[in-house]
Amino acid sequence: MLQYLIIILDDASVSYCHYDAPSDSPKGESLISLETLQAGIVFAMKENLNIQFVYPSYALPAEYAEVIESIDHTKIKPDAQTKEADVVVLTAWQTQKAEDVEGATCIIRTSCQELSEHQEQVKALLNKVARLNIVLTDVESFKDADADNYKSLLETLADMLTEIFKTGRMVQLNLLTDRLQLTQMNNCGAGDTTVTLAPNGKFYLCPAFYHDDPSQHVGSLEDGLDIKNRQLLRLDHAPICRHCDAFQCKRCIWMNSRLTLDANTPSHQQCMVAHLERNASRYLLAKMAEQGIRMSDTHDIPEINYLDPFTNYKQWK
Amino acid sequence: MDTLDIQDHSNSWQEGRAKSITFIVTKDCQLACKYCYLVGKNTKERMSWEVAKKAIDYILDKEEEFKEESVIWDFIGGEPFLEIDLVDRICDYLKTEMYRRNHHWFNSYRFSFSTNGINYHTEKVQKFIEKNRNHLSIGITIDGTQRKHDLNRIWKTPEMEQGIAPKPEDERGSYNDVVKNIPLWLEQFPGASTKVTISSADLPYIKESVLHLYSLGIKEVNINCVFEDVWKEDDDMLFEQQLMELADAIIDRKLYEDHTCSFFMEHIGKPMNRERDNQNWCGAGMMLAVDAAGMFYPCTRFAQYSLRNKQAWIIGDIHNGIDKNKLRPFLTLDRTTQSTEECITCEVASGCAWCQGENFDAADTHTVYQRSTAICRMHKARVRANNYYWNKLFRKLELENQREEFERQKANVREPKC
Amino acid sequence: MEIRKIVGQVTPEERTEIQALFERKNGLTELAKIVTADNNDLYEKLIKDMGETGVRFQQWWDNKAKKYSWESHPNGNWEINFQTCEITLVVKDA
Repeated sequence: MLQYLIIILDDASVSYCHYDAPSDSPKGESLISLETLQAGIVFAMKENLNIQFVYPSYALPAEYAEVIESIDHTKIKPDAQTKEADVVVLTAWQTQKAEDVEGATCIIRTSCQELSEHQEQVKALLNKVARLNIVLTDVESFKDADADNYKSLLETLADMLTEIFKTGRMVQLNLLTDRLQLTQMNNCGAGDTTVTLAPNGKFYLCPAFYHDDPSQHVGSLEDGLDIKNRQLLRLDHAPICRHCDAFQCKRCIWMNSRLTLDANTPSHQQCMVAHLERNASRYLLAKMAEQGIRMSDTHDIPEINYLDPFTNYKQWK
Repeated sequence: MDTLDIQDHSNSWQEGRAKSITFIVTKDCQLACKYCYLVGKNTKERMSWEVAKKAIDYILDKEEEFKEESVIWDFIGGEPFLEIDLVDRICDYLKTEMYRRNHHWFNSYRFSFSTNGINYHTEKVQKFIEKNRNHLSIGITIDGTQRKHDLNRIWKTPEMEQGIAPKPEDERGSYNDVVKNIPLWLEQFPGASTKVTISSADLPYIKESVLHLYSLGIKEVNINCVFEDVWKEDDDMLFEQQLMELADAIIDRKLYEDHTCSFFMEHIGKPMNRERDNQNWCGAGMMLAVDAAGMFYPCTRFAQYSLRNKQAWIIGDIHNGIDKNKLRPFLTLDRTTQSTEECITCEVASGCAWCQGENFDAADTHTVYQRSTAICRMHKARVRANNYYWNKLFRKLELENQREEFERQKANVREPKC
Repeated sequence: MEIRKIVGQVTPEERTEIQALFERKNGLTELAKIVTADNNDLYEKLIKDMGETGVRFQQWWDNKAKKYSWESHPNGNWEINFQTCEITLVVKDA
């Protein structure tokens, strides 16, 4: 069931996920029209959807703010425009001012290597923000040989978190703390619980599909929403994912469509990365137990002997 | 006792245990069959020896990834025997390399061909057959009576290559060019079966065609309706009527004793259990196909020349190998995930087939998980006629006290699968 | 005229064993048609293999005939059905 509408305010709106947003859009040239914005808000009201506005790095004209404030919503903004942001997307490791991120929910997009090189900055952020979402931008090129490095990096982050927890500060880090409290899948939900409205007035499964190829739309404000094979975006129609307990995985259908060519089937890379994170969450839980740290609503994570549930597919038949 | 002989009675060789690897050696054919799903046939895309060799080397180099007990090296076109020199060279190389490398497939392989039969008698093809006699499976397609065969299986004209359809009076059927080779084929492969394809225009000729094929000496007729959405209103009724008449003829003439027709299968038309009967129908993904450009596909039906609406589903190429990510959707396919609730709860679901390639081509999105239901009415008609056949046959056998004997000797017929 | 009579059955494992030998024997025979003596290494390997496989093949029949004591006939031969594992005695010109 649809619950969220993401509205991309401009082609140059910041990316907060795996995809790259175009960085070369001239300021304001691809800004959503006021009419489209208003129609999008009305659509969300009629469908009972929560709106998430995705902002560009420049300040919007005043009349836009007025329309946006006519409805309850969430603002996803780049670090250049943090005023009133609900979620701040950090576009570089060291540009943020302390007051901009203090107690905030922040997102940082990074390659695995870059993350490894910026552990001190991660630590600094974890000591300021309420929640940090780290989004890897190079999952598609992840190799089996990278697994050990990523595992060890995650364990370092888990150790770092344990130290912070010991001070009584219970910060959240999506890669490690989400899985602790989940008992079922909590994925991105593109096309299932969430749909995206682009500046062109057309709907997309998520912003990545729009930026990849605007012809991949799933309806428009004018003609209504038309998501074909929507059942295939649900967990029960995803043969690998429905057997999986890496509940924190984004289950990114955009990456699925690119790597396996079928939206309901995750790639080996996505499964491997999600399982390394799942296993590192288990490691974190053990470290917390050693230190007598308690977090509410955590659940045991069983030990498993695979990094890709696909390896078990013959047993499901 | 002098010699010790061995027979291989299996109908479908190493079914479920063999990897099927298809060489699309050419996209050319002498014929232009009207129902042919190969919409992109052409004279230009002929496989070179270099591409074939590289494909073989890649596959044999990856023995640890191709663990199936056996292999079927399949040759398809267009018309594969148009490239008999290449085919012969490929087969010689395969035999030599499997042996030289001590590859486990040397102990369990077949060469398989689907041919229109036109070149079957030629010296080169016959020499090839003689050379590989113990490892060959050759299916000649003959559609039935001359009028049924010639309705669809017509010779290609030079104009057709420019996209110009011949006038009906200029159409030339291929029946006579094929039927002359049937005796030689049956002499060389006595248990051979033929594959008949039924489209809307063929429906009135089903009965006469199956009986005609029996009269030619072909004892096993594998026949199926095309999966594409070609069916007109009342086609199902016509189909049912034809099958019932065929059922009467088979039973009245006692042809059931040593002939089979795949339309009549004892266990089709029953409800299927959501959990227990959840296997995929089609073997796409378990197979591998390679074309003249050296591209790999999960089966030939995903190559561009087979697709009307979609771009080819390429899973790799001979230079870079197979991208396993692109095979994952196929290997995890099951019946219920790709079926509608109506299909899952259908009371006559068993035996209702699908082609993964056609599902993909007809799907609303880029997926192999949307089952096409174009065949639904035809399947239901088949089930009704099939029920009639078995009820009538079993009653007859019971009245003649032959039921037990029939059950004992019943041919081990399986559902044909692509 | 030919008379056929089922005279016994082997185990599935025994069937698999002779089926593999049968396939290999056929494979070697057809390979021998294309491998010539100028391909020295392969030719030598093939000739040796054909001999060894032929011996193993015959040994299987000799051992099983002894083990199961199948009915035989001076003008007959045995056949195995790979699907059912049944052994049939085929007598020609009876």
